[in-house]
Amino acid sequence: MAGIADLGVGIGWRSEIDLTVERLPGVDFVEVVAENLHIGHLPESVTLLLERGVPVLPHAVSLSLGGADPVDLGRVEHLGKVAEAVGAPMVSDHVCFVRAGGLDSGHLMPVPRTRDALDVLVANVELAQRNLPVPLALENVAALLEWPDGELSEGQFLAELVERTDCWLLVDVANLYANARNIGTDPERFLDEIPLERLAYVHVAGGVDHGDVYHDTHAHAVLPEVLGVLDELCSRVKPPGVLLERDDNYPSDTEIASELAAIRAVVDKHRG
Amino acid sequence: MVTPVTTQGTQLSAEQVGYLTAGPGRAAETALARLIDAGLVRVSRDGLVSAVHQNNHGATTAIEARILSYARTPVRFDTIVRSAAHSTEMSMLHQHLLDRKLLQRPRRRNEGWWFSLVIAVVLVLLGFVALEFLLGVPIAVLFFLWQRGRKAITGAGREALLRVTATDRVHAVAVYGFCGRVNRRPVADLFELSQSIVRMLPLKQNRKRRSSSDGGGSGSSCSSCGSGCGSSSCSSSSGSSCSSSSSSSCGGSSCGGGGGGGGD
Repeated sequence: MAGIADLGVGIGWRSEIDLTVERLPGVDFVEVVAENLHIGHLPESVTLLLERGVPVLPHAVSLSLGGADPVDLGRVEHLGKVAEAVGAPMVSDHVCFVRAGGLDSGHLMPVPRTRDALDVLVANVELAQRNLPVPLALENVAALLEWPDGELSEGQFLAELVERTDCWLLVDVANLYANARNIGTDPERFLDEIPLERLAYVHVAGGVDHGDVYHDTHAHAVLPEVLGVLDELCSRVKPPGVLLERDDNYPSDTEIASELAAIRAVVDKHRG
Repeated sequence: MVTPVTTQGTQLSAEQVGYLTAGPGRAAETALARLIDAGLVRVSRDGLVSAVHQNNHGATTAIEARILSYARTPVRFDTIVRSAAHSTEMSMLHQHLLDRKLLQRPRRRNEGWWFSLVIAVVLVLLGFVALEFLLGVPIAVLFFLWQRGRKAITGAGREALLRVTATDRVHAVAVYGFCGRVNRRPVADLFELSQSIVRMLPLKQNRKRRSSSDGGGSGSSCSSCGSGCGSSSCSSSSGSSCSSSSSSSCGGSSCGGGGGGGGD
């Protein structure tokens, strides 16, 4: 794949806000959670958006590519079928694991940044890629802990992952902000270290302070600081797309439109 | 929210219009319509209603607050209407309408209905003794039928509804229900709600309109959850022009028409 087409500014499609997404002006693309869709029975709203020519990108949350358990090819197959059903140019999941030893964490767990863990991740990603009809992009996660004995920074870890698998990167600037707040990582160093030419698109989301901890809730307003990280990213590269993720506690259509406008303003600032 | 003023100066809120027209289900629909109109709840394509704010923000009535409370997590369209119709707040609205003598108290409406029937039976029995007693039977029967046919809504209530003006889409719901039609246009369309959503509500046949020359109200609508009007049909012909005072208007159409009295 030579490059990612210009996607523009988008929003995560969720069934609770389907009509809102349809009515919002300036939604250039949407992302759907692949696990929530059933092949052969796409939501009417998604079908409508496709008919309008709005790109629909499947986003997975359950492949657990960073886990030591064998990859569940059934989940990979489902993701691929969703991609084909919506004609998506790519699919995505996270650099994380969500199950181990037969238990589901219910959360996107960070991967130990060791070379051994990287080898496992690379093998799993390559297996998934062989079973997917379209390219795969992988997203950095928000973490509340760092595993001990890490050998690579997060940026180095992802850079080596890209080099070895030729995957694309989905950079979540809200997760970068969360990690900076909670475990003291440096977003600018991250951006320095990753291959920005392999950037597929960007996630932006809201969160909330809870004492000394920042919760990446996807259920609160996007903080100016998160837009600041987006601004930093856009100063280095023109992202093919930027997408607002909102998963709960949906605000009014007006507020959602304002958040999209704020994102677009940051992107356009660097395009001028 | 516009409060229609009737000829007698009686002011009715949209919820009250809904209640008098077709009972608590319609009042619940009306409250929900107002919340949708104000952007305080959203409805998804599969009919899930969710509050936009988590603190009952924006509620102007107790029923609206109750609905917002229900909708903190997504709730089915019909479930939320039914729940609101059976809520304590709806009982309070019912009581308020009773206090204003716009509705009759059920006890008063029903009391004594059996008495005329007993009289009729006694007169028939006495007719075996003297035929003259039979002359009173038709009178007793007619009185019985009159008692059974008494409407829950009072004359004052009917009068108050008589010239209710559907000034906006919220009042269109109050008068016709989400499943009703205004000028042959589905009321649901005014809210960009699909028929699959509003058909979640149980269908009720509305009373025939008193007049067909006033713009076209609904022939039937889904007035859910029964009615405080009991078995009555709350007639109201509400000639109206939907002047669309808000952004959420009836699209310039005149939504006049007989406010089809709701069924029960």
